[in-house]
Amino acid sequence: MGQDVEKRPVEVVPPSVLSQLKGVIASIEKGVLNKEMRLMARANRQMFAVRRQLKTSTVSAIMKHALPAGSDALARLSPFVAALEKSEKDMDVDSPAITGQSHGSQKQSVLPEVEIFCYLLVTIFLIDQKKLKEAKACSTAAVKRLQQLNRRTLDFLAARVFYYYSYSHEITDSLADIRGTLLALHQTATLRHDELGQETLLNLLLRNYLHYNLYDHAEKLRSKTQRSDSHSNQQLCRYLFYLGKIRTIQLEYTDAKECLLQAGRKAPASARGFRIQCTKWAVIVRLLLGEIPERTTFMQPGMRKALRPYFELTNAVRIGDLELFRHVAEKSSSVFTADKCHNLIVRLRHNVIRTGLRNISIAYSRISLTDVAKKLHLDSATPVDDAESIVTKAIRDGGIDASVDHSNGWMQSKETGDVYSTQEPQQAFHSRIAFCLNIHNEAVQALRFPPDAHKKELESAEKRRERQQQEQELAKHIAEEDDDEF
Amino acid sequence: MTVVTTATGLLAMLQEPHPTLKLHALKNLNVLVDKFWPEVSTKVSAIESLYEDDTFHEPELAALVASKVFYYLGELNDSLTYALGAGSLFDVSEDTEYVQTLVAKCVDEYILLSVKAAESNEKEKTVLDPRLVAIVERMLEKCIQDGKIQQAVGIALECRRLDTLEVAISRSENSSAMLSYCLRLSQTFVNNRAFRHEVLRLLVKSYQGLQQPDYLNVCQCLMFLDEPAEVAAILDKLLKGDKNDALLAYQVAFDLFENEYQKFLLNVRNLLPEPSSISKTAPSMVLNGGLSQDNRNGNGISAMTSSGPSAMDSDLTEPLLGNHAAEEAGDIAASSFAPVVERTPYAERLTKLKGILSGETPISLTLQFLYSHNRSDLLILKNIKQSVEMRNSVCHSATIYSNALMHAGTTVDTFLRENLDWLKRATNWAKFSATAGLGVIHRGHHQQGRSLMAPYLPQNGGTGGGSPYSEGGALYALGLIHANHGEGIKQFLLESLRNTSNEVIQHGACLGLGLAALGTADEEIYEDVKNVLYTDSAVAGEAAGIAMGLLMVGTASEKAAEMLAYAHDTQHEKIIRGLALGISLVLYGREEEADTLIEQMTGDQDPVLRYGGMYALAMAYRGTANNSAIRRLLHFAVSDVSDDVRRTAVLALGFVLCSEPEQAPRMVSLLSESYNAHVRYGAAMAVGISCAGSGSSEAISLLEPLTSDAVDFVRQGALIAMAMVLLQTTESREPRVASFRRQLEKIINDKHEETMSKMGAILAQGILDAGGRNVAIMLQSRTGHDRMTAVVGMVVFSQFWYWYPLIYFISLSFAPTAFIGLNEELRMPKFDFVSETKPSLFGYPPSVVPPAATSAVKLPTAVLSTSNRAKVRGAKREAEAKGGKVTVQDAGAGAEGAVGGDKESTSAVKDECSMDVEDGLEKKAVVAEPSSEVLNNPARVVPEQEKFIKFREDSRYTPLKLKRAPSGFVMLRDMTPSEPVELVSTDAPVSAGGAGAVAANTNAVAMVVEDNEVPPPEPFEYVP
Repeated sequence: MGQDVEKRPVEVVPPSVLSQLKGVIASIEKGVLNKEMRLMARANRQMFAVRRQLKTSTVSAIMKHALPAGSDALARLSPFVAALEKSEKDMDVDSPAITGQSHGSQKQSVLPEVEIFCYLLVTIFLIDQKKLKEAKACSTAAVKRLQQLNRRTLDFLAARVFYYYSYSHEITDSLADIRGTLLALHQTATLRHDELGQETLLNLLLRNYLHYNLYDHAEKLRSKTQRSDSHSNQQLCRYLFYLGKIRTIQLEYTDAKECLLQAGRKAPASARGFRIQCTKWAVIVRLLLGEIPERTTFMQPGMRKALRPYFELTNAVRIGDLELFRHVAEKSSSVFTADKCHNLIVRLRHNVIRTGLRNISIAYSRISLTDVAKKLHLDSATPVDDAESIVTKAIRDGGIDASVDHSNGWMQSKETGDVYSTQEPQQAFHSRIAFCLNIHNEAVQALRFPPDAHKKELESAEKRRERQQQEQELAKHIAEEDDDEF
Repeated sequence: MTVVTTATGLLAMLQEPHPTLKLHALKNLNVLVDKFWPEVSTKVSAIESLYEDDTFHEPELAALVASKVFYYLGELNDSLTYALGAGSLFDVSEDTEYVQTLVAKCVDEYILLSVKAAESNEKEKTVLDPRLVAIVERMLEKCIQDGKIQQAVGIALECRRLDTLEVAISRSENSSAMLSYCLRLSQTFVNNRAFRHEVLRLLVKSYQGLQQPDYLNVCQCLMFLDEPAEVAAILDKLLKGDKNDALLAYQVAFDLFENEYQKFLLNVRNLLPEPSSISKTAPSMVLNGGLSQDNRNGNGISAMTSSGPSAMDSDLTEPLLGNHAAEEAGDIAASSFAPVVERTPYAERLTKLKGILSGETPISLTLQFLYSHNRSDLLILKNIKQSVEMRNSVCHSATIYSNALMHAGTTVDTFLRENLDWLKRATNWAKFSATAGLGVIHRGHHQQGRSLMAPYLPQNGGTGGGSPYSEGGALYALGLIHANHGEGIKQFLLESLRNTSNEVIQHGACLGLGLAALGTADEEIYEDVKNVLYTDSAVAGEAAGIAMGLLMVGTASEKAAEMLAYAHDTQHEKIIRGLALGISLVLYGREEEADTLIEQMTGDQDPVLRYGGMYALAMAYRGTANNSAIRRLLHFAVSDVSDDVRRTAVLALGFVLCSEPEQAPRMVSLLSESYNAHVRYGAAMAVGISCAGSGSSEAISLLEPLTSDAVDFVRQGALIAMAMVLLQTTESREPRVASFRRQLEKIINDKHEETMSKMGAILAQGILDAGGRNVAIMLQSRTGHDRMTAVVGMVVFSQFWYWYPLIYFISLSFAPTAFIGLNEELRMPKFDFVSETKPSLFGYPPSVVPPAATSAVKLPTAVLSTSNRAKVRGAKREAEAKGGKVTVQDAGAGAEGAVGGDKESTSAVKDECSMDVEDGLEKKAVVAEPSSEVLNNPARVVPEQEKFIKFREDSRYTPLKLKRAPSGFVMLRDMTPSEPVELVSTDAPVSAGGAGAVAANTNAVAMVVEDNEVPPPEPFEYVP
């Protein structure tokens, strides 16, 4: 590129970043030409590799490289970058001005994909530079442009643009404004069978609703949309996470637990924040289900600190100590509010009591209700009556295996049976095996083979003849040996 | 402004008893439904009940809201129902996704319903929803108003609305362009035969309504409608008009001829008025110039060998030599026409037109072209002959087949004449096919055909001394010579059939009759052939079955049922197979009409009949790419128990897809990797058939691995298919041609190669260089219609799996790739035009390098024949003059000229010597290839080359129809009729010195040389 050579002495643009970005654009162009979605995905990954190294000068250089002079997109994007440049210049007077006069490429028309890519690049760059308002404006412009286009090769980039569109609105706390646009975009994506866009937009909508605690809306939307098989692992993770949250609020803990655990498991290792969120919710849901998560859950590398309040909470529930529970809840209430799970913590109190009760029923074959009330720290006006009702309810729910002797005022526990005499272990095994088989099948499905690789192994005529001859000789040999035996 | 966050309140209002509240809720919901549809959808039943509520004032609003909700839920059918219920509230012109989607759905639904209504019986006709119709009509109206006529035409065709179609066409600005668009659509997209006929009828009407009716297209349409009377009337009208009209009439006739629909052409001819003062010999008068030259050539060739008495003992070779006298007689007869009395110009034109319609004019012109441009390479054949083992009769006869195909239609039988001893090895059926091969070589040689074959033909009164095999073969050959134009020979063949009881002769006569009377549905012949069938002889019966099919091609008469009944009766598999093929031919092009019979055949217990059923599907749906046919074939291809049926089912796909060659490789790519070798074979052949002559790179990539398959017959099929695909493709367009040629050579020379694939390679070589390299396999004519003869020929050819003599049928699908410009006298004036591309892109393949001097010593004496040398040399000089590949001259090149004593050959030697010098120069500095070349009338124009052809604006002649593809027969308009006409003279020798000297330098002059091909030398005595 002539432009590249021209600039090098003047500016300290790391050539690798610029050339890498050029490579990205080239691979986008190639992907469009061959209608190969894989190349688009790769272009996306390449872009994220250089994201951290982006500089204003690089961004403006790549824009000038990719977009023809005087094009609509350039006119719309350059103010954003120019503003940044200006502020940079104010800080650092030494940095030389960029001569925007010489445009390296004289391409008349530009692929819409490349144009959208530039929008995306600028948006991300602006977000990274904390220019949130500009980022919002830029992404809104990108979405407007996207609504005019209808190309299947755009789907991948469009999904990214939608994500940053929503993200830029989220950090500026104006998510409610874009709900209508997102719904319209989602409908368009559905009509055009743009499955990736459909998936992304559904997740964004769910996030949007959940942001405002509109669980009912979210659930209605989720249940009414048609969902095809997932195309992107990330989107599937998000979907599962949102679904898990909805299910938790709806008191369907078993479903919720499955969703949340799967979301956490499927998430890539690098998405630490997401995994922490998943783990937090999974811990609460498991506690609500009456399970106690393993200690290792809280000791995962990098999560220890974030999970500390939840660890304490779990401890309180495990012991069944209401006092401790109350203490923990109060101590970390700010954390729980931030995580939007305070209402769930309130629900947990009941579980603490029940766990305590179970401990008691295991420890004592017979205990008076007064003692139960004392052990559970029930400090109401009529602790014994409360204890009686709690115990009866627990028995009815199947939480403990006991009976209440009302006349004598004690609780009689029954002998615990042998779990191995039941179907339980078998079922556990079954679920594990099913899980493994499932993973295996998914792995096989996800395998990609180079096209027509099997054709290369065709043997040539000579080789075949040789082989056939050998086979014949062998057959003859065997036949002779057979003859010899008789 | 308050932001609404939920629609719950409005939804609750729907439950209120008061209608005003409900109305208010609905109105608001209509606006908000875009954002709150997930919520609203829970209450959609309430909205639905409002719509059905008689007391509610505005059910239409309720319907609209319900429709929107269902639209968001993805239930487009329900959404459409309610949108229709919304009446005027549903605004078609609104520019929202909702409306657009629903209108699209509406049109789809309408198309579905109207097609169903059209195809069901009259009684069960469902009444279409008038509201639906109204919306569609509104859309169509809008399309027409906006000038999007093509869309309107497309939709009108799809929903079978002829009235709308007519309106759309009449209101378009460029009616003729729209009509041709419509014509193309009707051929490619309209799947129902009956409806297509209706469309064609409408098109004819619209064409005739134009200011300047496009008679070419009108007559094409009328041909499909099978209405000879109207065509005759149009032609008659044109003949009575001025000169240009007459030219147009000729052009129409030539175009009709290209579709090779014999019965129709004959009908048109008979319906034209009989010119009163014209005797029967008149048509041939017109051609006198061209024909007398043919005679001379024929004589020249036969005279050359007339002094070889050593071969006299063989009954096969003897007649070849005896030809001389017969032909001389013919020559005298031809040249002794008395000058015809003056006639009116109308009568003269009529005579010419009839000459075209009967095929005499075009066929003899083609023959002349193929002869004069013959560029076949005898060295290839010689190499094959040398490398094939003497005792291997399969390869021996494959070589004979290959020779016949290479020289198809060129009348050059030099190879046979030079190798009489070698030829004698052919016995029994090999002799049959060797004799029949002459028919392929002399294809279209109508005038001389009979006399050429006379020595082999059964003598009157008993079998005479000749072998029944050569006699049967001769009858078959006569059929091949007169294929599809057998009026003159029919009677003779019929008599021969009646006079014999030998099944071999019957076999030949049946095939011959079938070919000569192709598609005429002649009852008399049919009865006679049927009598042969009822003798229940396997050999004759098979041919009779095929012949019956050939006779009745495309008639779908009840004869097919009769044939099926006999197929059930007989015990002979051969007869059943012949009949099965025959039935499939009868169903040619009948599409849905044929379905009953196809069902019967495909459901039969006998695999041979099921196999016939596959062919029936292929024939009935040839070139339609009909989805249901493809589905059925694919089903049989993977599910039938018989390998034969599966193979044929895959092969049949090639016929169904022959109009869309780019589809076929994709369709069979999986099947080509089947574990079943038969299926792989079928896949190879299917690709070969549908992509014939296309040089498609996908097809080649698919076939390439198959040419080295583990199973020999798969290799055979793949080689043949590859040759079909690569026909007339040059190395510069597709580099894999060269490697394929090398592969063929290797297979032929390889001693360990299995016979089957060796035979495939030999045949492939023949197909690759077919017709002196001036023909292509064209299953469709230039106008995009099926060439019936070609398709039939290809089908019967694919039977060679069971019966080798049927290989010759492939010659029916060969079409010359020629540009033949004619003036109003139907003669070729001198005329040139430009091909704006590199000559090598579409040139002839380079000739094979002759073996080095050492091997030349071993050659048999016959090789010294001057005609052979002259041919090779001519070809060589061509290649050099064009600046293409330069072949290396062997050392002996200078010496060989001494043999020929006449002026021409010496001049040729001079020429060659100067070329040698030039050669050396060229090797040092490679001259850049010119970017265009000048072609002279008549010229070889390969189909892919057509788009590069440009006519000079200052030329004296211009084509009558500029839009027509520049190939085939083109009528030329003379811009300066007062000047004397200069005709192309193919037999006049060149002024030798001048041409030779300049040829080396300029391209333009070199082309003159090409035109004036050196004729074979005068007869001479060979003294060993």
